[in-house]
Amino acid sequence: METALIVNNSASVHRQEVNGHDEHHHHETFLTKYVFSQDHKMIAKQFLITGIIMGVIAMILSVLFRIQLAYPNTAFPFLQTLLGRFAPEGRLDPNFYLSLVTIHGTIMVFFVLTAGLSGTFSNLLIPLQLGARDMASPFLNMLSYWFFFTACVIMLSSFFVQKGPASGGWTIYPPLSALPKAMPGSEMGMSLWLASMVLFVASQLMGGINYISTVLNMRTKGMDLWKMPLTIWGFFLTAILGVLSFPVLVAGVVLLVFDRSMGTSFYLSDIVLNGAVLPNEGGSPILFEHLFWFLGHPEVYIVIMPAMGIASEVMAVNSRKPIFGYHAMVYSLIGITVLSFIVWGHHMFVTGMNPFIGGVFMITTLIIAVPSAVKTFNWLATLWRGNIRFTPAMMFAIGLVSFFISGGLTGIFLGNAALDINLHDTYFVVAHFHLVMGSAAIFGMLAGVYHWFPKMFGRLMDEKLGYLHFWLTFIGAYLVFFPMHFMGLDGVPRRYYAFTEFESMKQWLSVNTFITWAAIMSALAQVAFLFNFFYSIFYGKKATQNPWNANTLEWTTPVERIHGNWPGEIPTVYRWSYDYSKPGHDQDFIPQTVPFSQTMTSNLPHDFEDDPDVEKLQTEWLKQNSQEVK
Amino acid sequence: MNQSAVDKEKINFQPKKFNLWLFMITSFMLFAAFTSGFIVYTQGSADKGIKIILPHAFIYSTIVIVLSSFTMYLSFRSAKRLQFDKQKQFLWFTLILGVGFFFLQFYAWTVLVKMGVYLINPNASQSFIYIFTGVHLVHIIAGIILLINSLVGSYKNSPQVKNLFRLEMASIFWHFVDILWIYLYVFLLLNQQ
Amino acid sequence: MKFNKSFCTKIFISGIGLLMLLISNITLAQDSTPASVNSPTIEVSSASDTMWLGISYNVLIFLLVCIIIAVVGRILKIYDLTLQMQSKKAMDWNKIMSFGFGLFLIVGLYGAYWEYTVQGSMILPDAASKHGVAIDEMFNATLIITTIVFVGTQIMLFGFAFIYRGSQLRKAHFLPHNNTIEKLWTIVPAIVLTILVVFGSLTWKSIMDVPVSEQKSALNVDVTAHQFAWEVRYPGKDGKLGLKNSKLYSSNNKVGVDFKDKNSYDDLTADEIVVPVDKPVRVNLIAQDVIHSFYLPWFRVQINAVPGLPTFFQFTPTITTDAMRTKTDNPNFEYKLYCNKICGGNHFNMQKVFRVVSVAEYRDWLSKQKPYLNDQLRKELKMAVQTENSANKNKLAFNKI
Ligand code: HEM
Ligand SMILES: [Cu+2]
Ligand SMILES: [Cu+2]
Repeated sequence: METALIVNNSASVHRQEVNGHDEHHHHETFLTKYVFSQDHKMIAKQFLITGIIMGVIAMILSVLFRIQLAYPNTAFPFLQTLLGRFAPEGRLDPNFYLSLVTIHGTIMVFFVLTAGLSGTFSNLLIPLQLGARDMASPFLNMLSYWFFFTACVIMLSSFFVQKGPASGGWTIYPPLSALPKAMPGSEMGMSLWLASMVLFVASQLMGGINYISTVLNMRTKGMDLWKMPLTIWGFFLTAILGVLSFPVLVAGVVLLVFDRSMGTSFYLSDIVLNGAVLPNEGGSPILFEHLFWFLGHPEVYIVIMPAMGIASEVMAVNSRKPIFGYHAMVYSLIGITVLSFIVWGHHMFVTGMNPFIGGVFMITTLIIAVPSAVKTFNWLATLWRGNIRFTPAMMFAIGLVSFFISGGLTGIFLGNAALDINLHDTYFVVAHFHLVMGSAAIFGMLAGVYHWFPKMFGRLMDEKLGYLHFWLTFIGAYLVFFPMHFMGLDGVPRRYYAFTEFESMKQWLSVNTFITWAAIMSALAQVAFLFNFFYSIFYGKKATQNPWNANTLEWTTPVERIHGNWPGEIPTVYRWSYDYSKPGHDQDFIPQTVPFSQTMTSNLPHDFEDDPDVEKLQTEWLKQNSQEVK
Repeated sequence: MNQSAVDKEKINFQPKKFNLWLFMITSFMLFAAFTSGFIVYTQGSADKGIKIILPHAFIYSTIVIVLSSFTMYLSFRSAKRLQFDKQKQFLWFTLILGVGFFFLQFYAWTVLVKMGVYLINPNASQSFIYIFTGVHLVHIIAGIILLINSLVGSYKNSPQVKNLFRLEMASIFWHFVDILWIYLYVFLLLNQQ
Repeated sequence: MKFNKSFCTKIFISGIGLLMLLISNITLAQDSTPASVNSPTIEVSSASDTMWLGISYNVLIFLLVCIIIAVVGRILKIYDLTLQMQSKKAMDWNKIMSFGFGLFLIVGLYGAYWEYTVQGSMILPDAASKHGVAIDEMFNATLIITTIVFVGTQIMLFGFAFIYRGSQLRKAHFLPHNNTIEKLWTIVPAIVLTILVVFGSLTWKSIMDVPVSEQKSALNVDVTAHQFAWEVRYPGKDGKLGLKNSKLYSSNNKVGVDFKDKNSYDDLTADEIVVPVDKPVRVNLIAQDVIHSFYLPWFRVQINAVPGLPTFFQFTPTITTDAMRTKTDNPNFEYKLYCNKICGGNHFNMQKVFRVVSVAEYRDWLSKQKPYLNDQLRKELKMAVQTENSANKNKLAFNKI
């Protein structure tokens, strides 16, 4: 009981510092427990559920615009009922179509796959897998969530302004986004978009600072960097990417705001809009593209690296095998982190940039494919001769690898500047990033949800529904995105409201209808997930402490998920987290908390590289044992 | 407060200081982005660039902020030596110099406007001067708030660890905004005319 | 367990209820359709009625599917339990899933093959430009390499998932790393990518880095993009395009030609872009309002049109529109210019015909184009209105060809 007291005490110390109050006891009210919680596990859940809700919204938006692409000539009265002035006579308004695409992209990339993914799993797992009672700054952590929440509310509120939400694409290139008169969405909707994104960036910075600081300062005894699970490496490097690149987006946005409302000319020059000559002179729209993609490219890795970490962990646990090439995995993550800062120009090959600079970006871009390839091969080698247990989490992790391969390979086409001339901004790009980023990262996130659900809610999700969810989503995603490659190769541009105006595009109408139905199928499949998720929170099968027989520290915490994580002392770590199926050990896993002195039968010479004491022990033990044998 | 509780808090300070350093990295990245943006923009064509000699007001403000950094250092040193009166005194100096810097930057803007260097400008290299100084001033405001916070704290009878911690955070940040300004000023100087 | 049972019965009961609702709805729907046909006067209200009917119909179908899934799930569970009670082996879901992956591998590979052949035949025909041929070669090489990797890795992924499905009898093979093979699969991709980069760079440079001398000998076409159209200007007999300045825009001077520049006097305006075959063309681009992108997929040509920043793309078309018509067996075929950068509501319909013709046809066509500096514009600029027939002068405008 004494230990529990200490936990309580330390919690009140945090609180006191934050609020400057002097009360030494603290009661958990509904408000402090569920709303303004500073507990990392609760914040993780808040991020997850907000992320899921935003994901569902973005998915519905995509179904709406897919309906338009499948049936460009049909009126759907229910659209008018649903969307009012944005779908007069049941036909989607072209500008609103672009709004849908824009907000779908923004929500998915930033709110679901950045905040929903990192926010959930970094918050949940960094303290749990490293052996910390909470984040470095729980208060900052709470603020991070509430900034994110406000950003979500503002983003969604833009559907209720007169001219509709922002509609210049998620990349909001000026002048389209800078000139309120250029399109309806560039008026109030764009302002709201910018406001929302500034809050979002603030939220991500607070979160990222916290993650880095926790990883570097608050690891438990014995947890050196090279003993951290790959999940943590993924989150850690993601946070570094975010902290270094999000400020650059802010810089771009600040200049954009000045152009929009102050009349400066950072991005604007020589503009004649609707017959009016604007006074702006001397600006460069390309400057914005540089600033945007300096964030934008790292951003895509911000999205995928946590998913990669999760997949690595889930695949090791469920193959009952160590992750293959742990060091190579870490180095390739580091390589991706560093390289992702010098490849942004590959989004701008056809902006008329200096061909020499284009060539440089092409070289860096194709270099980044090497660490990506290494990761893929290591995953495959992890499966090889494993003893695979197909939990839903494992299935999603395998799905991630499949998508990552399919989408990564098309990156090699796009990274080749010469080929990009004809592929840029076509459906080929859409297919590329939906597979490599969209589908792969979502699958990573879902794998994480299925895998760590017991750590969040103390219960298990239903396995059979998980299978159903997996197969429908997996097949659906391929059916949706695979044909898009060929549309792209036929030169069909992205962000087109309808493919009816060009004779050459009409051959794709039937394909589009097919894609839409596949998309609707995969969207409906998510109902299986949503039901499973919310039902299992309350009625799922009760989980045991370590349901997956995993090695990492989070499974040493009690099922009750208490404040401070461990009732007693924080456990010490003695080994890496991947001792699965080690020869000589009776079980097929050895938790990180088990010292080598207890596993004499299975220790390998390699295990003692940094610990001469244990090595001595082991040699003595071996001597003894061999004598006994004699 | 018993000894162990004090120890706990001390332990808890470490990550906070670390957070501050990380925050400074992010805001440095912000300015790095602005200055890179400036370079990309200015190299766009020959008629871009600052094209003026920067007003003297910036020299004065630079002197003021360097001085304030020095007084901040003195204040922190006094605090460590338990000379609390001196601590407060130097903190006041720092605060006054900080506010002085703020107004000097404003003054510099008026000079710029008189020189015909406007924010709204077909040569956005010149607009960038306002952006640099303006966004930096936002940081100055944050720094001043930190200064006021530690000043108010120093009048309260809080434990020395806490006092020192508050002061240290303020001083790290204040030196940072100082160095940031020097970076920006040197950057502008190198690009003037 | 108790809860599970009650849940089960609840599902059944609500399922039956929903079924009945569905049936009654379908019959109602059949009733209401002829009614609305017979009496067009109540069409408005019945339109919304049918809408709601349609929606509830779909929702019901979906619910029905959910119920069927729930029932199947229950049955599977009961089946599983009886198996266990009869002390037979329970259903081995692990095995089922591994077979799922095996099946997916086979069906998926066939699907990919189907897509490659069926949809692969719907893609753009061979490039109709000189540099496009180089791009296509590059593309094919990349396609072959990536397809091999794609098939190989997917086979490994799903194959391993199939083969190494878990079993209680077996332990996984403890293999934390193997430096040799790791080096191998770092170096081999690196080499392959280096080869691609080298050839890619050469191709890229040859396309984008046209020597100035060649640029000078090309036919210049000036294209100005604005929401949502392309304005085309050809040089007159001097072969030089006059300068532009967006500030000079007026309703008669749509692209803002600067008539202080004497080169602009004889410039021509055109409704479509027509170029001669096998001659280098340099398209000069600028946008007036937002970014657009000049995209001619058949020629593998794309370059952004940016306000304030002139760009250009130089290429040599090799197949005339007529030849393409025979080649694609489509007598109505036209090369089209697409806008390929989101630019507003009508982005999807910002097009222009791009025609490639023989040199003779081109001369003929050009001679029929009107001068940019038309009478109205002259009036506006307070220049003397020329009365002579301008078509005469244009005949000479082929200097560069
Ligand atoms: C194998 C390495 C990869 C290469 C060589 C590569 C290359 C490229 C290139 C050149 C483009 C620009 C295409 C264009 O707009 O014309 C692109 C677009 C994109 N890539 Fe990748 N990529 C790779 C991996 C990834 C990964 C891992 C992600 C995300 C996790 C990703 C996400 C994206 C996104 C989101 C876009 C589209 C952005 C937009 O225009 O909206 N890529 N990729
Ligand atoms: Cu990129
Ligand atoms: Cu467009």
